[in-house]
Amino acid sequence: MSRLRLPLLSSASTTLRRRRSPRSSYSSGAVITSSSASHHTPPLKLQSPLFLRPLSHSASPSALLSFRRWAESLARSSAADLTFDGGPSSSELIREISWLLQDATSQDGDTFLLRTDLEDLYRLWRQRIEERRPFQYIVGCQHWRDLVLAVSEGVLIPRPETEEIVNLAARVEGLQDGMWADLGTGSGAIAIAIARMLGENGKVVATDLSEMAVEVAQFNVGRYKLENKVEIRQGSWFEPLQDLQGKLSGLVSNPPYIPSSHIHGLQAEVGRHEPSLALDGGENGTDHLLRLCEGSISSLKPGGFFAFETNGDKQSEQIVDFMTTQWSNSFHDIKIEADFAGIKRFVTGFRR
Amino acid sequence: MLLRSHRKRNFRLMAMIRMPPTWVMRIFDGVYSHRSPPVLGLRRTHQYLTSIRSSSSSSSNGSTATTTAGDYLRQTDEELMNQCEMDTFKSSGPGGQHRNKRESAVRLKHLPTGIIAQAVEDRSQHRNRSAALSRLRTLLALKVRNPIVLDGYKPPLELLQILPAKSTIRGSEAGSQIGPNNPKFAMGMQALLDLLSTVEGSVSTAAKILGLSTGALSRLILSDDSLRAAVNDLRTSKGMRPLK
Repeated sequence: MSRLRLPLLSSASTTLRRRRSPRSSYSSGAVITSSSASHHTPPLKLQSPLFLRPLSHSASPSALLSFRRWAESLARSSAADLTFDGGPSSSELIREISWLLQDATSQDGDTFLLRTDLEDLYRLWRQRIEERRPFQYIVGCQHWRDLVLAVSEGVLIPRPETEEIVNLAARVEGLQDGMWADLGTGSGAIAIAIARMLGENGKVVATDLSEMAVEVAQFNVGRYKLENKVEIRQGSWFEPLQDLQGKLSGLVSNPPYIPSSHIHGLQAEVGRHEPSLALDGGENGTDHLLRLCEGSISSLKPGGFFAFETNGDKQSEQIVDFMTTQWSNSFHDIKIEADFAGIKRFVTGFRR
Repeated sequence: MLLRSHRKRNFRLMAMIRMPPTWVMRIFDGVYSHRSPPVLGLRRTHQYLTSIRSSSSSSSNGSTATTTAGDYLRQTDEELMNQCEMDTFKSSGPGGQHRNKRESAVRLKHLPTGIIAQAVEDRSQHRNRSAALSRLRTLLALKVRNPIVLDGYKPPLELLQILPAKSTIRGSEAGSQIGPNNPKFAMGMQALLDLLSTVEGSVSTAAKILGLSTGALSRLILSDDSLRAAVNDLRTSKGMRPLK
């Protein structure tokens, strides 16, 4: 059975590291400076994901092992305080320590090369436990489908549930060479995954209101060399798509859908650290979803496909109800699809 | 120059993956060595893929009773997936944007054989699914036996491909030898186990049929942990001594 075990180090990050081009200015330094910042705001500074930083530090195996011991004992002693709001269990935290070390280190003979100093690892892990800073912000990336995406405070961490929206888009036939849009793209996750499945002429326009999201998405698009396939535009929902009215073959979105009253009770990692702009869907959580449905009437071409993520079950049914009663002339084949946990998570359909 | 050193480092990383010294395992896997899956079996599971299941539902009409391991392995990932029930881990809450949790573990149950393969190591469910699937292929090769007729037996190409070059029955069409890290190794391993089980676990008899010395075939068997374990299980069940 031992052969069946997966490698200690994620092959994902090794592949990406290998694929990384040395000419990319993003990957060589620790700080990325925005080139598009306007005069009245200071330039955004996006920390490069840990796994992409240079191996400019080192540590002995025993020093790393002490870190590991310390981090584990902190995880064990604090887990009880974390799980009450749905936070991670101690075994999940211990898995995160492994992932943190995978991202932060590389072995060179008897010593380990590090992408940050040991002190920083201690600081990061303390933030993880004491401030409940999400693990993905600690390492600056999220593994999502077969991608490793940079993420940063101010940008929603793509969820595993959302991986399915790409499969839904992939099942649609005949639209692979058209123009697609991902509205509220955040880290660019859906846009990038869809762009990689499209045909030679297929393209994706991804929009986001947040300047930080635009910057992170642009970084991720560049890392996957999709500059010719994914265009990022800043603005609210359909606003930046005026030139594409009636031309879209596909429209996907994971809009904010949590009812405002639920924001306070969220798990600390989410409620305290992720942008409410990407979470808060208004009183019923459907404010943005309804706008998206309405906007897709004018922006999708006849036969065009849409897929939206929702808060699940009841909200999906509400959206379907609304679309079939209010806009039955505009759409057909409206369906609800479940996520991997069996929650009715997505609404899909076609423009008539 | 920069590129080269990167490549070298990656090569070293790969080497470490294959044979981790104990202390590396402790740093990456935990002081208390969490080698076993930490999350499986804790939560309710859910059957998935009902919507993807194709109309060619081979598992429902009983025809799979005669399907052999060879046939399973020749299926595409999608076909194999259609014969599986996939369990993932249901969160207690509403999921989606509400949660920050890596519930990415995947367990596949191959319905015709009942074989279960799982993967929890990766951070992405997508990757865990493909890891579980490739594990399932290996397990099918190891656990499902197809009887063969020795009279006029010709080893299939997949088996020839994993034999060392000195085998006298190995023609040039078999190409260079395929090792355990190649995904095609499972097919050859399966054919070798079929042969060994037909000759009642005798390595020397199988070696003769494959044009190899007993020592050379033993070395091939010992080169892969799971193959060695399967051969030794077979030999033990026939009252023979395990290979060492």
